[in-house]
Amino acid sequence: MGREIHETQPDNASGSSAPAAPGPGRVILAMNAITKTFPGVRALSGVDMTVRAGEVAAILGENGAGKSTLMNILAGVFSDYGGVIELDGVPVAIHSPKAAQHLGIAMIHQELNLVPDMSIVDNIFLGREPRTARGTIDRRRMDEQATRLLAEVGLTLHPRRPVRQCRVAEQQLIEVAKALSASLRVLVMDEPTSALADAEVRRLFTVIRRLAAQGVGIVYISHRLEELDEIADSVTVLRDGAYIGRREMAGTTRGELISMMVGRPLDELFPRSDSPTGPGEEVIRVEGLDLAGDRREGRAALHGVRLIARAGEIVGLAGLMGAGRSETLEAIYGVFPRRAVHGNVRLRGRRYQPRSPRHAIRNGIALVAEDRKAQSLVLTNSVRFNASLAALGRFMRRGTVSAARERAAVAGMVTDLRIKTPGLNTAVANLSGGNQQKVVLAKCLLTEPSLILMDEPTRGIDVGAKAEIYQLMTELARRGSAIVMVSSELPELLAMCDRIVVLCEGRVTAEFRRGEGSQEAILDAAMDRQAVLGIDAASPSRAPARREVSDE
Amino acid sequence: MSSRTTPASPGVLAPSEPPGRRSLRARLRGVLPVLGSLQGYIGLVLVIAAGMLTKGQVFWNQQNLTNAVGAFASRGILAVGETLVILTAGIDLSVGSLLGIASMVSALLLVHQNLNIYEIVPLCMVVGAFFGLANGAATALLRIQSFVVTLAMLNVVRGIDRMLSDNVSVGTQLINAQGQLTPRSAQFQVLGTPGHNVFTGLPLPFVGRAGIYYPVLALVVVVVVFQLLLSKSKFGRHIYAVGGNETAARLSGVNTTYVKIAVFMLAGLLAGFAGPIDAAYSASADPLAGSSYELDAIAAVVIGGASLAGGRGSIVGTLVGSLILTLLDNVLGLNAISDNAQLIIKGLIVILAVVIQRPDFFRALGPAVRRLGRLTRTRTGDPPGEVASGSPQPQSATPPLEESR
Amino acid sequence: MKSRRWRLALTAAMLAPLAAAATACASTAPTSGATGAASKSQFVIGYSQSNNAEPYRAQLNIQLQYFVKKYPNLKLLPITDAQQSSAKQVSQVQNFIAQHVDVLIISPNEPAPLAAAVQQACNAKIPVIILDRSVNNDCYTSFIGGDNVAAGKQAGDLAVKLLPNGGNVVELQGILSDQPQIDRDKGFREGIAANPNIHIVAQREAKWLKESATPIMQQWLAQYPKIDLVYSENDPMALGAYLAAAGAKRAGQIKFIGTDGLAIPDGGIRAVQQGQMAGTFIYPTCAEQAAQTAEAIVSGKPVQKTQTLQVTPVTPDNAASLYAQYDDSKFQS
Repeated sequence: MGREIHETQPDNASGSSAPAAPGPGRVILAMNAITKTFPGVRALSGVDMTVRAGEVAAILGENGAGKSTLMNILAGVFSDYGGVIELDGVPVAIHSPKAAQHLGIAMIHQELNLVPDMSIVDNIFLGREPRTARGTIDRRRMDEQATRLLAEVGLTLHPRRPVRQCRVAEQQLIEVAKALSASLRVLVMDEPTSALADAEVRRLFTVIRRLAAQGVGIVYISHRLEELDEIADSVTVLRDGAYIGRREMAGTTRGELISMMVGRPLDELFPRSDSPTGPGEEVIRVEGLDLAGDRREGRAALHGVRLIARAGEIVGLAGLMGAGRSETLEAIYGVFPRRAVHGNVRLRGRRYQPRSPRHAIRNGIALVAEDRKAQSLVLTNSVRFNASLAALGRFMRRGTVSAARERAAVAGMVTDLRIKTPGLNTAVANLSGGNQQKVVLAKCLLTEPSLILMDEPTRGIDVGAKAEIYQLMTELARRGSAIVMVSSELPELLAMCDRIVVLCEGRVTAEFRRGEGSQEAILDAAMDRQAVLGIDAASPSRAPARREVSDE
Repeated sequence: MSSRTTPASPGVLAPSEPPGRRSLRARLRGVLPVLGSLQGYIGLVLVIAAGMLTKGQVFWNQQNLTNAVGAFASRGILAVGETLVILTAGIDLSVGSLLGIASMVSALLLVHQNLNIYEIVPLCMVVGAFFGLANGAATALLRIQSFVVTLAMLNVVRGIDRMLSDNVSVGTQLINAQGQLTPRSAQFQVLGTPGHNVFTGLPLPFVGRAGIYYPVLALVVVVVVFQLLLSKSKFGRHIYAVGGNETAARLSGVNTTYVKIAVFMLAGLLAGFAGPIDAAYSASADPLAGSSYELDAIAAVVIGGASLAGGRGSIVGTLVGSLILTLLDNVLGLNAISDNAQLIIKGLIVILAVVIQRPDFFRALGPAVRRLGRLTRTRTGDPPGEVASGSPQPQSATPPLEESR
Repeated sequence: MKSRRWRLALTAAMLAPLAAAATACASTAPTSGATGAASKSQFVIGYSQSNNAEPYRAQLNIQLQYFVKKYPNLKLLPITDAQQSSAKQVSQVQNFIAQHVDVLIISPNEPAPLAAAVQQACNAKIPVIILDRSVNNDCYTSFIGGDNVAAGKQAGDLAVKLLPNGGNVVELQGILSDQPQIDRDKGFREGIAANPNIHIVAQREAKWLKESATPIMQQWLAQYPKIDLVYSENDPMALGAYLAAAGAKRAGQIKFIGTDGLAIPDGGIRAVQQGQMAGTFIYPTCAEQAAQTAEAIVSGKPVQKTQTLQVTPVTPDNAASLYAQYDDSKFQS
């Protein structure tokens, strides 16, 4: 009993032996004139892409440029597309993820596809578990192979560990390990570093280089230019679903790539002048803001946070992940139960007790939440529905929502913010990230706020939309709104803010006025655990504080 | 409230264009969401066509249609309440029991208290709303899943119902010493006993002086009122927002707790409203009345295009779903299809209706059709590459390193 | 620390019944010695009802309580309600066996699932009386039931009498798989066979429900210009059909025959008395006979293995007196 009679899984399941003869420069994948139409706004029109064996081929483009669409076609997510895909010179039809898998194409999506409550080994072998002679799952062999695969991507985790207990970076590498166990020819990675800290990025790059050396073609999607310098061999640039060009990474400047991506020069990006108009009256003054943390809900604690924003001012909140930046905004906005929040808040000179988001909106506070899909938008509903949601009271006529007033107001916003949408009744799910973010902004602005809290207002949106949002923020400040923005991008904070408040472990550790701060100084303050007295060193998992602040 | 110092009004950045006259198409697009997806009507049209083709005048006459709709009216009203709950991504399994207890209460009030219908109906609505409120409070405040709460309530209320009735049905047609119906019993009949109409003698459109069958009228009124509530009121928008993304709704200033409690209460209120109709329809309140009605109601909502995940659906869609269910039953019955075959057909129709209702149904059809087209074109020798592309290919820059082919 | 101790205590508390169940299986020590019955002054009866929510069964419960009270040496435990679930009923019967009742009365929900439970009672030497529906096990002491075929047959006979020149009949059926439905349908067809001019033009399942019968009848009225008689396998369906016909102003041309004949205000006897139905048949509740038989068993008298009770026809002439005789309220308290 228990004898293994036949092998269901080839022993050499790693990528090392998959490509037969890895001649360098051989074209392993060629996508020619790929087209794809959606009923929404995006489409691919005649995109070409080639990947050679052993090459890291980056795809660069703004959000909505069609990068993910192109790769989803390759991974078999969309069955209907035009154009020809050749793998090792042979035309192939990829009409299902399964077909892609058979051809040795693996894709690691931005949103990881692991089952959180299953173990690492079960995830790696999900759907193709090796069997024993009796037909039961061969756990021993699975564990062995999983350990080897994990080692290959530089992980030393126990294979039986539940994925939920692994960190995001580890999960990312588990996905890679999962891809390795097939006979891999092309590995597509969609923004693999978007949630990783620096050290973890290094580790991922090591793995990528090793795979490339083994002859696997890597397609690497990102819009972090600084990464591409380091990892990519070639770059294919897309814009608005069209093929713009392909460059070898060596000998191509960043500026050139950006102008290919954006279609315009870069200096328009930060429009805020160095000399802001003199500060107006105080809009909000927060003193001694305490918040009880909640481990279960992933809520960081705050200890005596002090924050002031005046009319016409943009105040930045910097800090590492878990420092309490979002919590500060949300505490002011009234998101948390009242008993968890203590402190002195004065809004336009009057005492203000945060009660609920509803109460905050009525008092002229607006919040652009961190995660627009999870916290801000009803994705399946229309632009009009989403934009007017917080301000419906303004469109009431005889007890009903006046469609005409609502439409006029939202249409005005769509024009003002240059939201690219086929119509007001288009579902926001069909818009690109930048335009979705503009819908969120429209929703906030329609409540006529005097204090705008922005949590990562430009995260995950393309350069063009970023520039437009910066311009909008500048304009709002000029008109007298007070803005408090949280951002992990230090250049953005330095360029946009009149003052930058730095948080560390729920305490204010520094404050810089415009022109005073530098990336180094801010980072120092953000990691200034010395200044954070009287706290136990939190949980060990938090000890290597993840640097979310990207330092260019 | 303090005045705002510097509101950033819309139109700050650029002069906003005045809303010009909208095209007919844009107008249609504005109206259609209210009427639900067009696909929903396909099913209804098919069922009606089937009825007309097989039974002609026997099917398509006012009496038969009134009978058919009347038989489902109380469940249709339940379905309206259920729609509200489902739109917030909840579910209410207790509406059948709530209808049952309201029907029992209405009969008991008639028989033992001799109340008139203007007293009975509001009291029943209060009873329904009370239990609905309990559902809502448990769901929203205690944060128990609505499935669990209402499953429990289904049993609790049925138990109370059976206790009230001693397990014996209560007739509503009381006879006095002269062998006549008592005046209150006679009045109660207009709530739905077959053959009794309201507004008789008035010159009404469509129906003439025969009057209107109250259950049908009640269903139509409820549908209109609640459709307007959903599409025109702030509260309606908030319902969609809570179901579509509760976090986003809360951060947008929606009182999500209130919305969730309110939808359950309204569902209970409507069940209370439907109870007397059910009692009058059978001229008696059965302790088991309304059993499994919640399933019919949920089926109607789902056939009407709502998503159990919340955020999608409409009252008019639910009406269409209700009509499909009851007219289908009618057509199958008129054609003397065997009972067992009817079960199979009805089950399959539900699946079919839901598939057709998918927002991307036609979109999904498209590729299939196109692939078919590609096949035929390839056969005639056309290049396959251009079939799927809507726009010409802008080859703005040739790839500098186009190697080996 | 404290919480852990609590958790331990809770776990123990939850496991206790399990342990008890295990030991109870091992030793079937009778708590009240049923043997040596003669010395006892009072005997305990357990009654397992399949579904309280049917009016007929609700009436049976009331009558059984009434008739058992007539025997001072009998004591009826609270009636258990299986709510139409055979599984629930099996466990309730097992409960009675565990309590070692002196007589067990069962109204089975379904024949097959209850067979094993009856066998267990038999093994424990508890006499079993089966009411109305059969079980797939003949290890019982007595079966008391009405004759559904006879009920259908008499309804057929009445139809023949009401339609001497023949005519069109529609039939409303209970749940198709229920044995009473099958038997009543069979009997009715036997009855109307006496007149070949009587035709069943349509029959449909209305699941014993009044509210289901109404739309079905409405559809029939739309389809068939001439319907002479409605045979319904229970009274509520007949009355539901009557409502439809009355609504269409055709009730005068149609005769309605029901079955069950409950003496409650909303029941069939009243409907016959008020002229809505041409006749119904009182299907016996068996309560009186059940109490009698239980008494006979405990006092050691011989009992018949099978007792079949006859249905009583209700006509407009005898309806008033039958109502008085069977009136529900008479049996209460």
